[in-house]
Amino acid sequence: MSRLQGQKRKQTDSNSPAQSLTEQERILYNVIRSKQDMGIWTRDMKRETNLPDNVVNKSLKVLQAKNLIKEVVNIQNKGRKHYMATEFEPSKEITGGAWYVEGNLDTEFIQILKEQCTKQIYKLKVATLEGVTDSIKRSGVLNVELTKQQIDEILKALVLDNEIIELKSNGMGEFASIPVGKICYKCISKGNIGGEPRTGAMASIPCGVCPRIRQCTPDGIISPQTCVYYSKWLDF
Amino acid sequence: MVKTQHGIRYAVHLITSHFGNLVAKVCECLLRKGPLPLHTIVRYTELSQMQVKNSLLVLIQHNCVQAYRIDETGGSQSAPKQSTQYLALFDNILHRVRFSKFLAIISQEFDKLCVDIVEGLLQHGRLTLKQIVERANSSHKEGNSIGVDAVQENLHKLVMAHYVEHCPASEPFLASPTEEDAPARKRGAKSAKIVIESEAIEQRVLAAAVPMEARRFSLVMDSELNDDGEKDQNKSPDKHVGDKRKLVASEPDIDSEAAENQVVLWRANFEEFIRRLRHKDCIENVRARLDDGAAIVLSAMLEASKTEEKKVKTASSVPLSVNSIYEEVIKSEKGRNMTFDHVRAALVQLSSPPPFVTVADESYSIDFKHIIEAAQSEEVESIVLKRYGRDAYRIFRLLSKASRLLETDKISDTIFVEKKETTKILYKLWQDDYLLMEKLVVGTATFLLWKVNKLVLWEHVLDELFHAALNLSLRVAYELEQQKEIVNLPIDRREGPMKDKYEKLKKMRILMESSQMKLDDAIMLFHDF
Repeated sequence: MSRLQGQKRKQTDSNSPAQSLTEQERILYNVIRSKQDMGIWTRDMKRETNLPDNVVNKSLKVLQAKNLIKEVVNIQNKGRKHYMATEFEPSKEITGGAWYVEGNLDTEFIQILKEQCTKQIYKLKVATLEGVTDSIKRSGVLNVELTKQQIDEILKALVLDNEIIELKSNGMGEFASIPVGKICYKCISKGNIGGEPRTGAMASIPCGVCPRIRQCTPDGIISPQTCVYYSKWLDF
Repeated sequence: MVKTQHGIRYAVHLITSHFGNLVAKVCECLLRKGPLPLHTIVRYTELSQMQVKNSLLVLIQHNCVQAYRIDETGGSQSAPKQSTQYLALFDNILHRVRFSKFLAIISQEFDKLCVDIVEGLLQHGRLTLKQIVERANSSHKEGNSIGVDAVQENLHKLVMAHYVEHCPASEPFLASPTEEDAPARKRGAKSAKIVIESEAIEQRVLAAAVPMEARRFSLVMDSELNDDGEKDQNKSPDKHVGDKRKLVASEPDIDSEAAENQVVLWRANFEEFIRRLRHKDCIENVRARLDDGAAIVLSAMLEASKTEEKKVKTASSVPLSVNSIYEEVIKSEKGRNMTFDHVRAALVQLSSPPPFVTVADESYSIDFKHIIEAAQSEEVESIVLKRYGRDAYRIFRLLSKASRLLETDKISDTIFVEKKETTKILYKLWQDDYLLMEKLVVGTATFLLWKVNKLVLWEHVLDELFHAALNLSLRVAYELEQQKEIVNLPIDRREGPMKDKYEKLKKMRILMESSQMKLDDAIMLFHDF
């Protein structure tokens, strides 16, 4: 999570590395810098500066060595080489936002957040978005600042996992402290966090999970009589 | 009422295993082609008229086919001719695997004699009181015979509870629909129109055949067993019963002299059994989601309002006050432990979001639709989870809740899965008909949009359930056939390795049969509830 605490690196001695640039390198550097926090793709660079390929490639190496530019991953097009001036932090469109690190989804972080939110909701019995956000802040478990928007995204994902349920308060009973109509959340599983939802009737038999059910017929090559999944299932 | 492809295959399989290939052939013809007159069935099945006639008799006897008369269209003759058509009753065919569930309901509420009566009715399709008495006596081991009075008394109980009813009219006349009655669907796909028409016909035939409410559960017994031969005011001169008796005269079970007296034919009322099973399912669902207290209160609400329920698939129950609910709760043993406040609290719990019970002006009514839909969603989500994985489960839940088209990027962001992976899963779900896909082209960019269409999907899932039920049935038959010698092994030979094999076979059978029952519950959830 330390990446979220990263700060903009300021260039202390501003001009000395930039002064020893060739004309072409300077042109290239200015173009990259002008794109600020969006950065620019190598092909676009070549188009804009009209410089030949080998010149661009060499200049990029020089600029990088002098710490004037850096390579960043563009989440929209991971295959392309994307550069920006070192003083800028890549914008959200480039990085993918809070949930991405080095161009990939930070699944570990997301999982930790999910567990934390579930714990807080379980503690609070019924919680609104604000309630969960405050609760997490106060618990001090995370060393990063999360916006309400981000917590909201996590809660919505937890609803899809069937860990919590989204409801509108009716102001009565356990919802007494919440204004009527406000959206709030409750834990579903009675106590065990991360429990599996009940397995349905169909999912309990081989046919329910079979990827070939559409091709299965009584007299076909795939048939219930010859089915290997059944044989495994009935092999006591 | 929905007959899917595999539904028909499954139904035909059931008829084959219960009545043989001949009857099954006739039944299949009717299921696939819709209601037909006798000569058309003969033509399609290429059987003799006698064979078709006998098959139809068996199917009618067991309530799997209903005959009816219509005016023959065409021809400029002065007197319109009437012809008899035969309609296969898909639902009743499916009920044939549920007889043990029906008997379990009876055994919980009544004593052994009632269970025997219902068992007889289920086994034979329809019986007169005389036949019921004869059957009870023939199976009775001890010397004492069971008197007519005892049987009649128990039959009364069953009829009062609506578990047994008078048989429907054998050949009701179906008037052609008038202009106002015809469903107003001028536009729409031809196939949709056909489905609606066939469902409409089935409903109209059944409505025409069912006796009036007063007569359907009338307790008046047969005139042949009444000493003073009193006539019943409610009974209309039922020529149809007499006609039917002549038609059925070839059936060995039915006494042809009964045709002279207007004998009542009794049968099990499937509708009531399904209603009870629906109630039970709702109670269990509530118990699993909330707790026992809520389940007891819901059960009491169902008991109190069941007589007011018109049709099985009713969306909500009649409103009840807290007092009437409490009165019903304390009637049961478990309910007596609950205080008034306890009941009140349970009602608050039931009506808090997501509500299983709706409140209006201090009156509570059960929201069946919500409970059933929640159970159905759970079943489908379970299939998606086990077959396609956790990410697919999330995607499916997202699209089900959204009930509109969502773009791939939006989906992948919401579930926190990389776009490439998300697209792969979406394609798989779409290929297997769990999702609909639409392409949107904006300039040079192509966007893929996805949606869950519940109506279409529920029918698809139901078809898969029928397919699985058929598979289970076929496999169990296959296993038993393969291990015939072990099945038929006498007890004294079951030793050593033979014993192991026998035990293994027994385990297999128990597993398969319990899976079949559980799967049938799911079929009822999607088809009957």
